[in-house]
Amino acid sequence: MPVRVVESSAPSQLSEGANSVQTSPQACTLLSVGQTFSGTQNVSGLQKDEAWRVNVCIQGCDLEHGYLCGTMEALNVPMADTPVVTFWEGEIVDTKNYTFFTGKWEATPEDDIRHWTKFSSFNPLLSQVEVDGGKSLDLSTCPYIFMRWKEQYFVNVGTDCGLTIAGFYYVCFSCSDGSINGFYYDPNSSPFQKLELKSTNEGRSGFSFSSYALR
Amino acid sequence: MPTSASASDSSVAVSATLRQSDLLPRLASSDGVVQVKALRELKNRIIGNRTKKLSFIKLGLVPAVADILASKADAGDGRYSDLLIQSAAVVGSFACGFDAGVQAVLDAGVFPSLVRLLSHLDEKVVDAGARSLRMIYQSKLAPKYDFLQQKNMEFLLSLLNSENENVTGLGASIIMHSCETVAEQKALCQAGVLKKLISLLKGSLSQRDASLESLATIIKNNVEAVSEFVGSDSGRALRSVIELTKDRYPRTRLLASVCLIVIRNTCPCYLQDIGIKTKLVYLLLELHDDPGQVGDEASFAFSTLIAGSEDLQKLAFEANAIDKLYNHLQKGALHPKRVEGILLAMAELCSKLDSCRFKFISLKALDLVINGLTQDSAGVRAAACICLKSVSRSIKSLCAGDFMNEMIVIPLVQLLDDSCTSVQLSKSMDSDLRLNALWALRNLMFLADSASKESIFGELEASSLASLVSDSEPLVQEQALALVRNLVDGCVNCIEFVFAENGIILDAVGRHLQSIPKVEIGIQGMYLLCNVASGNEFHKEAVMHQLVPQAENGTQSFMIKFLQSSDSQLRTAAVWTIINLTFPSVPGAFGRLVKLRNTGIISQVKSMVNDPCLEVKLRIRTALAQFMTSDDGSI
Repeated sequence: MPVRVVESSAPSQLSEGANSVQTSPQACTLLSVGQTFSGTQNVSGLQKDEAWRVNVCIQGCDLEHGYLCGTMEALNVPMADTPVVTFWEGEIVDTKNYTFFTGKWEATPEDDIRHWTKFSSFNPLLSQVEVDGGKSLDLSTCPYIFMRWKEQYFVNVGTDCGLTIAGFYYVCFSCSDGSINGFYYDPNSSPFQKLELKSTNEGRSGFSFSSYALR
Repeated sequence: MPTSASASDSSVAVSATLRQSDLLPRLASSDGVVQVKALRELKNRIIGNRTKKLSFIKLGLVPAVADILASKADAGDGRYSDLLIQSAAVVGSFACGFDAGVQAVLDAGVFPSLVRLLSHLDEKVVDAGARSLRMIYQSKLAPKYDFLQQKNMEFLLSLLNSENENVTGLGASIIMHSCETVAEQKALCQAGVLKKLISLLKGSLSQRDASLESLATIIKNNVEAVSEFVGSDSGRALRSVIELTKDRYPRTRLLASVCLIVIRNTCPCYLQDIGIKTKLVYLLLELHDDPGQVGDEASFAFSTLIAGSEDLQKLAFEANAIDKLYNHLQKGALHPKRVEGILLAMAELCSKLDSCRFKFISLKALDLVINGLTQDSAGVRAAACICLKSVSRSIKSLCAGDFMNEMIVIPLVQLLDDSCTSVQLSKSMDSDLRLNALWALRNLMFLADSASKESIFGELEASSLASLVSDSEPLVQEQALALVRNLVDGCVNCIEFVFAENGIILDAVGRHLQSIPKVEIGIQGMYLLCNVASGNEFHKEAVMHQLVPQAENGTQSFMIKFLQSSDSQLRTAAVWTIINLTFPSVPGAFGRLVKLRNTGIISQVKSMVNDPCLEVKLRIRTALAQFMTSDDGSI
């Protein structure tokens, strides 16, 4: 799958950003505030085989700081009476604020590589990431945005709900269709729980975008 | 007991009035000795006592003193020196820290007489006149000098060149009070005032302080003046200001810091050294310990230092600024000015960094801010609101509901008088009010439920929204469009809002997009149309009606202009709208595709397949794929 998109045609007369050294991923409207996604998280372990339905809403985005945040709602959680909503914060791998190496949350570079390579879109980046975590990569033309999402707290249930948010997700977002794939990593939970989400449009025949701005 | 207290109060008042009225004839006496005695008595009675100042003003004593000054100011010999010195002292006392006193003194026409004293032969008279004028120049009511007039500049230079430190101090005060424009700053620099002030940095304590304050006034936001100052004496001037940040007097340290902050904020290329920045942060935090005016002013200086600069906010955070400011605020019984300054400094600290906001919340500093929301001082209430706004920028805290409690929401709503105030304000004659109100409503409507949207829309009414879309102020237009964009997002039924009153809003948007004053308006307007076009067949056709000009009209659709825009966000919004209009599996998609082709929009889209912006390129691919789906071979 092509990751580094190389311009093959003659340059257009629109030359914005041509001179600036921009290596961070470009903004993507499908990953902007207010956008919603739905899908499943596979929580299969050795003894059980199940998937929870999951909805995600992007609540905040600050590309300058490689920051994204939102809420995640798990719908059919067996031990909970209501859908469980958590708030998460995301680190966007932009080579400036964050690299592919997590450097915390009990994740070693080996854990990182093991998870990132689960995404086929990551493969063209692998060799460089092994060298420096991807610091010197140019991700500005990459049609995927790689992130880590870390749940910070439960929004609507107490911490005694029998669920854990100790781990975090390795996430790959496709700018082309707004689909999201992720793998949950927590040394104490089943490995490689897969998160699969698609951009939703609330019964519309098309895409809708809202916005807010803080002053 | 209330009754006896009241009786004793009135007897005191009567006796005081009797004694006061006795002063008036004595001031008007022809005997200079009697006059001097009366002036001394008057001065002793009013010193530091606002109530007495006010009652003497009401009794008309200021004009009596003004008469003495006016009649004797020009007497060159020393005969009336004592009389003039005492008169000037009384006038200065009336004016000291009391605006009503300054007003009375100016109304009595004392100002020109005091200025005449500055050229008196007796140095003591000159000094008294200068002191008195400096008191007047502590007030905003003092007369302004226009430095573009030659005679005023000459007067100022004569003051600054004086040997008397009160006279040079007066010169500095006049600069601080009167210099407001870049033209005036330039004129002062050209006349050599900057150089003179630099030389005064080596003067007495009061000259140094006055010089630092005036220097800040002259160079503020003036790159040329800052460069001249920094380059003066091969950088010695700047070094001496840096040196003065270590002075033993807190006021001098504060003023030197302010001067450096002005230099840095005007020309960020100077004072980039991390050492200086760190030093200023620590110094200003330390100056908060001063119990007087310096401590009150330190937080305002601190705010200007860290304003808008993430680096400095980080440094301040590392210097435990939040804890330190919180500890000051916790002390209670503070002067309202100080509370206001600290709240504003906290607001600035929390304006960018989540780490600061979390620290703030973890200290439970929010309780002190909530307390500020209901204070008597309007400045404190406003500062508390600004602080709350800044802290609440943390999406993490907002989602956790940290601000959703009645302790915060109730006073905030009370400050607005009632919940519909924003709606009322959006119709205000004042464009700033309209802008702020619309901005608030726009954010409120982000991901809002249908009931909230219905209620706001019901209050605003379609016709008002339509006229706000075409408001005279571009910023208002932008927020109005963003508000409608959010209104029609979410549940499909919400799209109907733009069809109220025969589609008056949609028509206004379509008309407005024909010629946009700025690109941001195009972006918001286009996303509004994009959201409408994500609805059903009827909604999509209504958007088509706005995009595709009538054939006989012959005008080019604004859609083509937007697709050709140099702004990638506007191009993106435009392509999203096309994607929605040609969304597959909707019956009319093919018909719309044909119409879009006939207006040249489709060929424009096809030409953008290698757009330099990745996002635009990806959307164009989606659009082209949809065209293929709907295409029967004719497109």
